[in-house]
Amino acid sequence: MRELTPEIREEIKDMIFDYYAEECEVDKDEITMDTNPQNDLGSDSLMFVELIEMTADKYDMDIKLQAIGKYMLKTPMDTMSDVVDMFCKIYQYGNDIVNQ
Amino acid sequence: MENFSRAFLFNGIGSKPEKLLVKLPPELMDRYICYFDAAFTRLGLNKDLEKNTVYNRKVAEWIVSLICDRVVHEYYIEKGIVPDIGAGYSSGIVSISGCFGSVSHEFAQDIIMSNRSTMRCLEEHGQKLDMGVVIGFSYNDIQELLGSSFSPDELVIGSGNSKFHVMISGRAEAVERALELCQNEGALKAFSFGTGVAYHHPIMKEYSKEYVDFCGSTLYAPPEYPIISVFDHRVMTSGEDILRENQLNVYTPIRWDVTLDKLADMGVKEFFDTSANGAVSKFSRVKRKCRIYTLDDVYS
Repeated sequence: MRELTPEIREEIKDMIFDYYAEECEVDKDEITMDTNPQNDLGSDSLMFVELIEMTADKYDMDIKLQAIGKYMLKTPMDTMSDVVDMFCKIYQYGNDIVNQ
Repeated sequence: MENFSRAFLFNGIGSKPEKLLVKLPPELMDRYICYFDAAFTRLGLNKDLEKNTVYNRKVAEWIVSLICDRVVHEYYIEKGIVPDIGAGYSSGIVSISGCFGSVSHEFAQDIIMSNRSTMRCLEEHGQKLDMGVVIGFSYNDIQELLGSSFSPDELVIGSGNSKFHVMISGRAEAVERALELCQNEGALKAFSFGTGVAYHHPIMKEYSKEYVDFCGSTLYAPPEYPIISVFDHRVMTSGEDILRENQLNVYTPIRWDVTLDKLADMGVKEFFDTSANGAVSKFSRVKRKCRIYTLDDVYS
């Protein structure tokens, strides 16, 4: 398990917010932790894939999408807070996220 | 082998008109409206898509995609971005046939219109078919997962799109079961199109005779630029090749992922997505050192 420092968490949050702001063509300041990525930003699962690929590149990880899919079965991504939490867990646990 | 460096990628149906049109900048929207008015008037379709009958509404949406592809393709060419080769994903084969000059744009629209006869034939024979997309699985993943549970008569992989995107096609109840299975096995998303048709499944051959005959009812010119087949990955340069590609399209599975890899192996480094909303770039992936450019990239 990798250690998740407050700095890394902030970095992950920034990466996610920057990505959604650009892809969904909204001002980053308009996105909060309570924003619903699907309903409020119009995001889709292909954007999610891209974000996972960015995370894998950034932190040199080999991420299996099915592991994340199984995690999402029990933990729906209703808010940006859920999304940030999940990417932090991906950083920490990698493919073992499914057991968290 | 001839060296290619730039490929144009044409999208099939699937994007909703509103999602395409919102991405067209004003100058391209003017051109779109011009083509849209001419096409819908000629074809007798209601310009208010909602007011069309069921089959007409479906083909009307697909013709909007076709026209958007044409507008973006023309924009790229006018910008001096000229392809060495192209590829069409599913009904993108119809788009590329028109844009690369094998058939007129009007005939390409007529090909799309003739999908109505296929839908009618399927309904008359009580066939309940569908297609679906699984996100998070590769072609091999899906083959392994579904291969032992479904016969090819029930379900096939209609297209392997990329390492995380696969389209399945077949009998509606099989598609539904397969999507549920994929979801439970960790698909990020698995959803059906609800199209009532199973494009790229062999069963369609029996019900698309009118479509296939219509495709063959004109003379195809050699394309202005070569086109790679998404079925056997040959580089096509003759009119006969393009006719065959259009006919195979309805009932033959695609390997889009392999097609893009082949293009990269042939030297292509720049891929240009001709869909207005960058749909191709979203479900496709190309090798490292290659890049897919979208209208957004070119226009900004």
